[in-house]
Amino acid sequence: MKKNILAQAVALALMASPLAASASEAELLKRLDKLAAEVEQLKAELAATKKKTDTVEKRQDALAAAPVAPAAVVAASAGTAPAVTAPVSTAAAASPATMLGPNTVLSSYGEVNYTRPRHDSSKSQADVARAVIGITHRFDEKTKMVAEFEWEHAVTSASDKGETEVEQLYVEREFNNGLRAKGGLFLIPAGLLNTNHEPTAYYGVYRNFVETAIIPSTWREAGLGLSQTLDNGITWDTGLTTGFDLSKWDATTTDGRTSPLGSIHQEGQMAKSHDLSVFGALNWRGVPGLLLGGSVFTGKIGQKTPDFAAQDARLTLWDLHARYTPGKWDLSAVYARGTISNTEALNQTFAGNPTPVPSSFYGWYTQAAYQLWKNSDYTLTPFLRYERFNTANSYAAMPAGLAVATGPNEGVWTVGTNFNVGEGVVLKADYQKFKVDTARDRFNLGLGYAF
Amino acid sequence: MSQNNVAPLICTPNRGRWLLALAAACLLAACGGGGSGDSGSSAAAATPITPVPNGGLSQVASLGKKIFSDQSLSASAKQSCATCHNPDNAHAQSNDLAVQLGGANLDVPGFRAVPSLRYLNLTPAFFFASDGTPTGGFNRDGRVNTLAEQSERPFLAPHEMANAGRADVIAKLKSAAYVEEFRKVFGAAILDNSDDAFNRIQLALQQYQKEDTDFHPYDSKYDQFLAGKVPLNAAELRGLALFNNPTKGNCVACHLSARGSDGSSPLFTDFTFDNLGVPRNPAIAATADPAYFDLGLCGPDRTDLSSRSALCGKFKVPTLRNVATRKVFFHNGYFKTLREAVSFYVKRDTNPELWYPADASGVAQKFNDLPEQYRKNVNVTEVPYNRQPNMPPALSESEVDDVVQFLGTLTDGYKAQ
Repeated sequence: MKKNILAQAVALALMASPLAASASEAELLKRLDKLAAEVEQLKAELAATKKKTDTVEKRQDALAAAPVAPAAVVAASAGTAPAVTAPVSTAAAASPATMLGPNTVLSSYGEVNYTRPRHDSSKSQADVARAVIGITHRFDEKTKMVAEFEWEHAVTSASDKGETEVEQLYVEREFNNGLRAKGGLFLIPAGLLNTNHEPTAYYGVYRNFVETAIIPSTWREAGLGLSQTLDNGITWDTGLTTGFDLSKWDATTTDGRTSPLGSIHQEGQMAKSHDLSVFGALNWRGVPGLLLGGSVFTGKIGQKTPDFAAQDARLTLWDLHARYTPGKWDLSAVYARGTISNTEALNQTFAGNPTPVPSSFYGWYTQAAYQLWKNSDYTLTPFLRYERFNTANSYAAMPAGLAVATGPNEGVWTVGTNFNVGEGVVLKADYQKFKVDTARDRFNLGLGYAF
Repeated sequence: MSQNNVAPLICTPNRGRWLLALAAACLLAACGGGGSGDSGSSAAAATPITPVPNGGLSQVASLGKKIFSDQSLSASAKQSCATCHNPDNAHAQSNDLAVQLGGANLDVPGFRAVPSLRYLNLTPAFFFASDGTPTGGFNRDGRVNTLAEQSERPFLAPHEMANAGRADVIAKLKSAAYVEEFRKVFGAAILDNSDDAFNRIQLALQQYQKEDTDFHPYDSKYDQFLAGKVPLNAAELRGLALFNNPTKGNCVACHLSARGSDGSSPLFTDFTFDNLGVPRNPAIAATADPAYFDLGLCGPDRTDLSSRSALCGKFKVPTLRNVATRKVFFHNGYFKTLREAVSFYVKRDTNPELWYPADASGVAQKFNDLPEQYRKNVNVTEVPYNRQPNMPPALSESEVDDVVQFLGTLTDGYKAQ
């Protein structure tokens, strides 16, 4: 009770708006009761499921008993896997079914998109943009492993455009005081979308520009992280990770204009690690339906590359974000800004090239979605988003006559709808209108799922 | 170290699964029959090259260095590799002759200008890229695939060192001061077979060019600028910007100036071939015959692509490193100053009368070093060639000066003051 009051006080202080007051104490208690009931129900369901699993596994044991050799092989390989904590017999460990036992969860998400530029339909294209398989395994109540493997653009080979990547691969341990420590390749908690990037989690066929061009979603780094969720609704994150590699910058192409950080990210791929980066994030969920947060990520990006003219360049990227979901509304906003220091000498080596390294880049968006219609498990949620961003907001000074014009402040309206089928499937349609580069105006259709 | 010294080591049976692989390796190395001591396999490969620490040269490279400057290996006894590829002039010619003179009396004129041997160690073998672009290879027509292969022609060509054949070269080698070292490295009997011995000469020259950083020092002002160690002055920077600018010099379209994605230093060539329509050079004796044309990729020196008429007139894009030290420019050495060469790029199409002789009616004969039917092959679409008379050139006079200034930063051996 006291904590709720505290939470409200913080909310009022931070927001100075009547929104926070909309969740009264009575409402909160009601929601808590409801949650408690749901937890009880889940426990019951879990018990029933375990019982069922036992039965199935015993049956499989009986079947597996006949071909001795293969079962022995499985047992041998299972020996390297962690001990299964569920109440299954030792013999059951030999069964392949236990490999995806109650402590190992398979997840997946994917999206198939169709885009038709308004002014040049010859550039229409369909793309299996993402296909992702995730495995989460709980070694015990406190320790888990999370892995996510992704294919982008359907086909990956030397001559194709797709990519295959490990998007997440980390182990997390929770301590008694609620502190969580993780190590491996994990998502940086910046913005709203990066850690919550499944197609069912965002509006519009494509991820917004701010959280792709400025915050390079899906942005992950290898390293160590610590986080904790406090009773007052605050979650803090911090960590020490790999960072970007400025020596990858290609001034001759437009990649750096599309996404400055996307063009120099390392993604855990033999990442240069002389210069590590640090990050910190604060998120507050003290009022139901409301999330307020911010993050900072900073590190040197010269990586002590031999004979490189920007050894001391430092990237700092920060963001502020808010999401509020009162009733049928889903309102959100993000502001993100990045700076790269000490680029003068490097940019001189790029003289005459179209894409020097920007000294700053930024973007913001605001978005409103409204659940217009719901019938059985169908939901229709139209949305409207406006974003403004500039991937080359400024450049370090160049000698007279050699400066490159800074990028435009692009503005994009996106209007469309998400049509959800149950919790896991979404159909999307939207139209995007660009203020500067009007050739990019386009209609988009998408199909996505996540489980 | 000879192959026979190596083989017994790998024939020692090891344990476990390596055994089978080793047995196969031993069979391939034919170690079972070894021990004659002087055999020195007749196969071209397998001369082990022992790396030397501290930047020194391996024995093979060290031999290559001696061969490189050995004038006794020529018919005139006055010409070595170093004569035309002078180490003191970025391994290129020191005089301003369009083509050099060779032969027994040093009076036989050649056909093409001497290219620098610097920065050739990373040139790939000749191939057609997936979009059909001819790429790589050595010589101005890319007709050989390795530095070793490349080294054969100068020994034997009548207008160069003019030896009658490989055996002729080896006969001379037998009198060389370093012949015992040659025997020691390549086997006592190596000189018994001229082809084998000549092959070793080629390998030694190749190894020398690969190992000795004199051929690829990467210590120009521009290299030091890329490394953030020295600044370029204002004119040089303007020149770099014009060089890179796709709407101005656009030199970078072929002469890459940026580091590779792996951080490698730029070589100022993309190893492709282009047809620039360089004016015919009457200073080359062969051009006295109106029917004589050097068509690069499609002949006459290169023979395998003679039917690919679209390639006729294309020559290899050379590195621009050390370009300011050259005395003549382009494959036929027509231009004698760097400024003229740069001006030709930007004024070839706006002011053809500056470069080509006029016909009877006073019209400049553009691309006069190509037969009529191949003149359409000349690159007229890319910047800065995409111009017509009466249009302004892609670079003004002062901009040409700036580019020339910048090109001066590509000379090896820059020492900051």
